[in-house]
Amino acid sequence: MRKKTRICSLLMAMMLGIATLGGCGSEPASSGTQESSDEASRESSGEDSTEAGESESASEEGQEPESEAAANQPDISEEVTLTMYLIGDRPVDNDEVFAKINEKLKAEINATIDVKFMSWGEYEQKYPLIFASGEDWDIIYTADWCFYNAQATKQGFWEITQEALDTYAPMTAQTIYPEAWEQAKVNGQVFMLPMNYKEITSYVYMARGDLMDKYSITSVASLDEAEAYMDAIVANEPTLIPLDVGSDYDKLFVFDRMWNKANWESQEKVGGIGTWQIMSSVGEGDDNAEVKGIYDQALFQGVIERLKDWKDRGFWSKNAVVNTQNNTESFQAGKSALALCNANTAKSIYAQMSTEHPEWDVRVFDAQDGVPPVLNSFLANGMSIFSKSKHPERALMALDYLRNDVEINNLFCYGIEGKHWEAAGDNALVSLPDSGNYAYDSNCNWGVRNDASWRMVEGGIPGLEEMNAKWKESARSSRYQTFVFDDSNVKNEVAAITEIFNSDYKLLGLGFTDDPAGDIAKLKEKMISAGADAVYAEMQKQALEFLKTNGN
Amino acid sequence: MKKKAHPFLHDLKKNRTKWLMILPAAIVVVLMCYIPMAGIVLAFKEFNYHGGIWGSPWAGFRNFEYFFQSGKAWTTTRNTILYNIAFLCVNTLLQITCAILLSELAGKYFKRITQSVMFLPYFISWVVVGAFIYNLFNYEFGAVNSFLKSLGMEPLDVYSDKAAWPVILIVVSAFKNVGYGTVMYLASIVNIDGEMFEAADLDGATMWQKIRHITLPCIRPTVAILFLMAIGTIMKGDFQMFWQVTGNNPMVLEVTDVIDTYVTRSMLNLQEFGMTSAAGLYQSGLSFVLVLIANYAVKKIEPDYALF
Repeated sequence: MRKKTRICSLLMAMMLGIATLGGCGSEPASSGTQESSDEASRESSGEDSTEAGESESASEEGQEPESEAAANQPDISEEVTLTMYLIGDRPVDNDEVFAKINEKLKAEINATIDVKFMSWGEYEQKYPLIFASGEDWDIIYTADWCFYNAQATKQGFWEITQEALDTYAPMTAQTIYPEAWEQAKVNGQVFMLPMNYKEITSYVYMARGDLMDKYSITSVASLDEAEAYMDAIVANEPTLIPLDVGSDYDKLFVFDRMWNKANWESQEKVGGIGTWQIMSSVGEGDDNAEVKGIYDQALFQGVIERLKDWKDRGFWSKNAVVNTQNNTESFQAGKSALALCNANTAKSIYAQMSTEHPEWDVRVFDAQDGVPPVLNSFLANGMSIFSKSKHPERALMALDYLRNDVEINNLFCYGIEGKHWEAAGDNALVSLPDSGNYAYDSNCNWGVRNDASWRMVEGGIPGLEEMNAKWKESARSSRYQTFVFDDSNVKNEVAAITEIFNSDYKLLGLGFTDDPAGDIAKLKEKMISAGADAVYAEMQKQALEFLKTNGN
Repeated sequence: MKKKAHPFLHDLKKNRTKWLMILPAAIVVVLMCYIPMAGIVLAFKEFNYHGGIWGSPWAGFRNFEYFFQSGKAWTTTRNTILYNIAFLCVNTLLQITCAILLSELAGKYFKRITQSVMFLPYFISWVVVGAFIYNLFNYEFGAVNSFLKSLGMEPLDVYSDKAAWPVILIVVSAFKNVGYGTVMYLASIVNIDGEMFEAADLDGATMWQKIRHITLPCIRPTVAILFLMAIGTIMKGDFQMFWQVTGNNPMVLEVTDVIDTYVTRSMLNLQEFGMTSAAGLYQSGLSFVLVLIANYAVKKIEPDYALF
């Protein structure tokens, strides 16, 4: 009673304390960065002069042998251990794989990598905290959907300059897609090495073949078919939740399916714009770029009504909003009968599930339902360096090897050759039984994917190749794919809106409402008092500018 | 140097044992309360990782706007205060009742065991209590609903029922805290002069009369002090309890969101340290005013019991 655990104030106090210490510590760190970037520019100028004239460089060599040595070869005399943060759970064989990677990295750049993980269940909370905690780490996975803009504008990442790239990551400097480098710019500065891989995000259903046969369902490849399947589950399998969505990660998966389908089939082709927390949307064909709240769009209510109907029929738990496990994890654990996930996730767990539970006869179906999949921006996956890293240059060198060295890249992406996978031709591989301990393309290696050394899984999911072909053909980038909203003028409004997104909007997105029309009106009212109009007006202004500069 | 030492130094020498005893507490308070207080400045800054607390640019009062703009200032303040008043009343009442009951019990071993069992929940982590609650009230597979279904009754949908949560929170708070307070009141009851009870016995007082006229008046100072201290924390929600027990459930936020959970949640969602510090500062400021008022009131009524 008396000793109320004042965890929150303690936490605040600790953060402040730590940040204070961090503030003290930042002085030498930042000057270190400065120095190193100076060094980098000096080196590159040295390099330039080497190219410009032999004699000049020769004279320089005579005068400053040290700097000349540094110009050709970055100083790697000190052995360093780099800490790398990835998202997900530690694969069983992770340490074994990284022992091999480190062996080679040690030889090449005198550095080793120590990997730390934050799970999908907590990454939204933990990710920003490790920047403020004063912890000593170097490399982190990032993406446009995973805090890239937020942390970049708060100076959480080390800036990767063209000079640094040329000096410390020469292989990347040569191979990186120029448009990827352009996309990574935030206010003209680059803070991320985006993946060197053209990716399509498309969704699939994974269903239990045994249950499908039992209730004579032949296909789960559209919303209507999924509905029929889940109806059968609710009626006959009381111990299973049909589709266990609701966690932070997949709270809007079902909404997205329905919303995208409804809009793709409509005239206006309304789509999202800017960060999804702002709930902003715009018609693709609208040259005036009129930005409106998604709840203000004509089709919104119909979608919410269907979601409510699905929820009421018990397609997901009545406690879905407090879920911490995502629907794929539930499906793998045998708690639910259907999973909705992107094709890459399905690929990485399919083999494992088939070996662990052959009796489930897992089947994979196209969940795009006629909607063209999104051709991702390169920023959908990438790697960044922490702004307070003690060895940013070495971290960049390590990333260079992770991306471009075929052996290291393959180890990171697929595991150990001969243990987890086997080559099948130049562009494909076969997963071996041990791949359960280090699954194909699923150790958060997406940020270093490289088209040059990419291998597809052969003989993975039946029918996936046809789906892939279909998706590739129809994939498209939305008009505002690379649009980045600068919220510095409307920060308070965005903060208030984010709160609404995480409560009211999340509830609607999972169908938790007794009166869709009434609750949508309520949401709208709340949004207006939170200042949504100002945010959308600002966004429209920026969108128009974006259209002008991008010439479309 | 004067011949006679400074009075403070003199006192330091004379009562050195007492000063030594207070030292650890003083260090903790300075380290954990006074030094971090400088971080209040964060509420007026536009924080970035590179500049840290001191190097980030100033933001004036802009950080405060968001707390009020989000429309949450009123709900969370109301919830925090109402819950704490409810906890305070319910828990104090139960604690005093249990303490008196225990003191009247005869069997020594029974008394000891009861006391220990009541004390035990105090040591259970809120995370575990949260898991209890989830497993009890989970709609599909929870214990309560499984029981109701086996009786052929309709299952309860607790996680979307706003009315249920105040009750649940008050009950779990009592579950966890009553044992602890009971021991404190029990200690003050044991300290009552036994001769008073003997005299009452000789005069033929009933047990009820003894409680009413001896026990209760004698523990009044303890009640007053504990009560005052609780007032000081009335603006602080028990963060762990609200966070873990409700599972941060958006369905019932309207009735379960207290300032502490709101601050934490928005910090995790927004990563705006300035804005959340501003909300924290608002809470501390209000707390401070409340303590001053409460103390002033007590001083008016019973000057002996006031804190300062």
